[in-house]
Amino acid sequence: MFLQLVVSGISQGAIYALVALSLTLVYRATTIVNFGHGDFVMAGAFVVYVFVILAGMPFLPAALLAFALLFALGLAIQRGFIEPIKAGPHIGFAMMSIALGYVLRGVARAGWGREVLPMPRVFDFPPIFLGELVVTGESLVIVGVVAVLLAVFFVVFYRTRTGKMIQAVYQSERGAALVGINVRRFHCIMWGFGVALGAVGGVLVAPFTLLHPDLGASFLIRGFAAMTLGGFGSLWGAVAGGLLLGIAEQQLGAYVSTKLIDIAAYLVIIAVLVVRPVGLFGRVAAVRV
Amino acid sequence: MIFRTALRNLATVATVLAAATAAAEDTTGITDTTIKIGIMGPFTGNASSYSKAEIGLDAFYKWINDQGGIHGRKIETVLEDYACNEAKGIASAKKLIHQDKVFMLHGNSCSGVAIAIKPTVVEAGIPWVVAHAVNEKISSPPTKNIFHGVPVGRTYGTVMGNFVASKPGTRTVAVIQHSNDWANSYCVPAKQRLEAARIKVPLELALERGQTDATPQVLKIRQAKPDFIIACLYEAETAIFLKDLQKYGMDAIPVMGTAGTDLENTLKRVGDPQTVRNYYVPHNYVDNTTGGRMKKWNDIILKYYPNETITGFSAISMGSGVAVVEALKRAGRNLSREKFIAEMNKIRDFDTGILSGKITWTPDDREGVKQAAVNGFVGGKPTVLKSWGQPLFGG
Amino acid sequence: MRDRRLFYVVPLLALLVPAFTNPYTQFVVNLMLVYILVTVGFNIVMGYLGQLAFANTAFFGIGAYTTALVMVYAKLPFLLALVLGAAAGALAGFLASVTALRGIRLYYLAIITLAFGELMRWVYIHADQVTRGTDGLPVPVASVFGFALDSEMRKYYVFLAIVVLVVKGTSNLLRSRVGRAIVAIRDNEFATASLGIPTAQYIVLAFVWSGFIVGIAGGMFAILIGRVVPESFGLIELIVQFAMVMVGGLGSLAGGVIGAVALTALPEYFRRFPGLEEMFFGALLVLILLFLPKGLVSFFARYLPVFREPLYRE
Repeated sequence: MFLQLVVSGISQGAIYALVALSLTLVYRATTIVNFGHGDFVMAGAFVVYVFVILAGMPFLPAALLAFALLFALGLAIQRGFIEPIKAGPHIGFAMMSIALGYVLRGVARAGWGREVLPMPRVFDFPPIFLGELVVTGESLVIVGVVAVLLAVFFVVFYRTRTGKMIQAVYQSERGAALVGINVRRFHCIMWGFGVALGAVGGVLVAPFTLLHPDLGASFLIRGFAAMTLGGFGSLWGAVAGGLLLGIAEQQLGAYVSTKLIDIAAYLVIIAVLVVRPVGLFGRVAAVRV
Repeated sequence: MIFRTALRNLATVATVLAAATAAAEDTTGITDTTIKIGIMGPFTGNASSYSKAEIGLDAFYKWINDQGGIHGRKIETVLEDYACNEAKGIASAKKLIHQDKVFMLHGNSCSGVAIAIKPTVVEAGIPWVVAHAVNEKISSPPTKNIFHGVPVGRTYGTVMGNFVASKPGTRTVAVIQHSNDWANSYCVPAKQRLEAARIKVPLELALERGQTDATPQVLKIRQAKPDFIIACLYEAETAIFLKDLQKYGMDAIPVMGTAGTDLENTLKRVGDPQTVRNYYVPHNYVDNTTGGRMKKWNDIILKYYPNETITGFSAISMGSGVAVVEALKRAGRNLSREKFIAEMNKIRDFDTGILSGKITWTPDDREGVKQAAVNGFVGGKPTVLKSWGQPLFGG
Repeated sequence: MRDRRLFYVVPLLALLVPAFTNPYTQFVVNLMLVYILVTVGFNIVMGYLGQLAFANTAFFGIGAYTTALVMVYAKLPFLLALVLGAAAGALAGFLASVTALRGIRLYYLAIITLAFGELMRWVYIHADQVTRGTDGLPVPVASVFGFALDSEMRKYYVFLAIVVLVVKGTSNLLRSRVGRAIVAIRDNEFATASLGIPTAQYIVLAFVWSGFIVGIAGGMFAILIGRVVPESFGLIELIVQFAMVMVGGLGSLAGGVIGAVALTALPEYFRRFPGLEEMFFGALLVLILLFLPKGLVSFFARYLPVFREPLYRE
């Protein structure tokens, strides 16, 4: 049972990792934590649903289109709602991101609120049996896609010029601006990527779960827990935290009590912040006075 | 002599006055041409899928109007949304009672809110027909003005427990449920019924709303190998649970669900008949959700709400609606709240044409519907059953 | 300074409110009074101390459950139960301040206080032998000095008295040296510490005071609704309370009052459009944040000097 839980934990954790990574991306790029991120994940799922069910598109083009659409949404949100309140307190950003998420949820509810929506079977790979272990088709797909995405991301980040630009802005905005990098546009684009990447998480779970407007809330909390566990602001930490959280939830649920699954994320948050606030891979931040 | 006459006159006057005040009945919410009915439902919030019941009820009342109304009066429905939230629920109820001044209240899907509203309704004396929420505390002990128009949790739990017990050889049952009052209202009486039948429940699991994976729960079931599973889960989580059961090869174990899901839509959500072949739900209706005897009612809903998807919730409140209209008709043109309640108390074995159980309301027992059947897939088709392997209609 | 006396007139006028209400509108007004305390308490920690601490629903729930539990099990009278609820809230505030003291700030603090609130909710659900879990804990009818609070109007007068006292007390506190210290910590913690001000004590005080006030609000909420359920203290509730503070005006006492009144009344109008309320609510928040970022109170402050508060953020 232990190994089986690890397998399913990794599959769940992969989504958490994606959500945490996208949250961290936006945070590192703009020092803003997007409290409405869960609803963007939900939006990704709903957009794919609309394209597949109502427009009759096959899944893959629908997914790509959803990515593009949500990227555009992220750009628009940064330009239209985040940029104008840049001068205000951080609390303002928190509220704005929550409010935007709320609007998204309201739109989803107004459009489909009373129904619980199924997606047709997209991937029908038969499960693989490794002895007693069942590795389902969906686990393979999710882990596979996430792994590829992560690989692409980190390659871009560390190996390409664009990646070097991103790193430059992370390390010092003023320095990057001095070197000629358009920091404002950078913020805009990173919001786009962050939202789109989070939405991919929604796109991935859509075929395997049922869509309803409140889908996002649990992903947001898991994302936070993963970020905290891995070290707030650390990209590798977000991924590691997500996977570990997924596994921990499953183990806790099976070996201790199924009632704990719901609050596993909160327990992790409190435990980490009490024992080792910087998380696994974070660094102690020096506070500038 | 004069004194005695004066006394007699005074007595006559007093009696007439007393009779007059007694006859001054409550006609709030009634005009010459309308009867105002307040319908409360969770149209937003995370329980919004339950408001399908209120939609169905509203469609029914609109249809009654198109049929000519009741004694020359049309029913004016006032819909209030309380998002399954107690504070909003109390506000909605008070608004309907004191501001909109409706004649009666009909609806309510959320038990918790219904219980919170109860003191307000009892105090106001306004007739209230609870048409979806199942908690028995709403209508028991009986009050002057509250009627329950659907089976209560105890009834469902007994039906569920009976069905599970009717399968030969059932000795152990696993129970999986949400940790909320909705699930408790089904699973707690079900467990009690099992206990009475000497069936053990060695495994009690939680699966919460919003969880997208049931692996730990299914693995524990795999360890315990129960003969039957009772699942008090909402629609989305039921589908996820059934899929996960199949994933790990546990789908041979029959699963008893609640009246919160229906077979046709669960099949749609899961997408594979194999996964639901052993799934059973308590069933309130005279036919399957999309069966022939339900067509009339489904058509009514679609006429006024063409974008609505028919599920097992859609027609549930319409049953009590039929009974309410009957009572309103019997009360006659000189309608009042008292007359209406009196007529409601006289409803006996009333066949609504929608609910499989007949409605009976008396002053001492306001749980109108005491019966439900079970729905399950037999030969790939949803079939109404009275116990394990025994169809209700025909052999 | 002369203008401040206006604020004494408001409570006097408020005494006349029940003449104009029916039980429905009176109930909504009572709910507003509860939320005035909620926002005032939230504002102390978020607006004046400047910490992103999302523990408000935790304080609210702890206050509500404590008051309800002692009324049900210990059969204590309402006012005493309320004091105990407030004390429990203060204790929770103290616990929350511990994390802040350990250097946990900004988003970490937000997340851990959020986790605290959700953890408490899990406790309410699963300690169901005592709390009756999700079925809810029915609260007996409160009575004050022999008067049963069995109508909205009676609850109103008791609530009004409590709110006026608490708000006045908070206002005095904020205008004293304590308030100045708290705001100084918000603006620059290290500079304040370097002036010899014991920042740790003031941080704790701010949290404890916030927890105390919101605990009182919780107790009032318990007898207003008559039933305490875990769902009332979850994330949706937190968002609504957060919105009240932001819409009214962060760091402004009057703003908190305005926000509480506005966001308790508005959903009643939104209900006219079933299904669209969430969108309207979210859109309203977005608009206020974009065009009136200092909250509704800034709109009033432009025309009525009495609303300008000296410690309000520049």
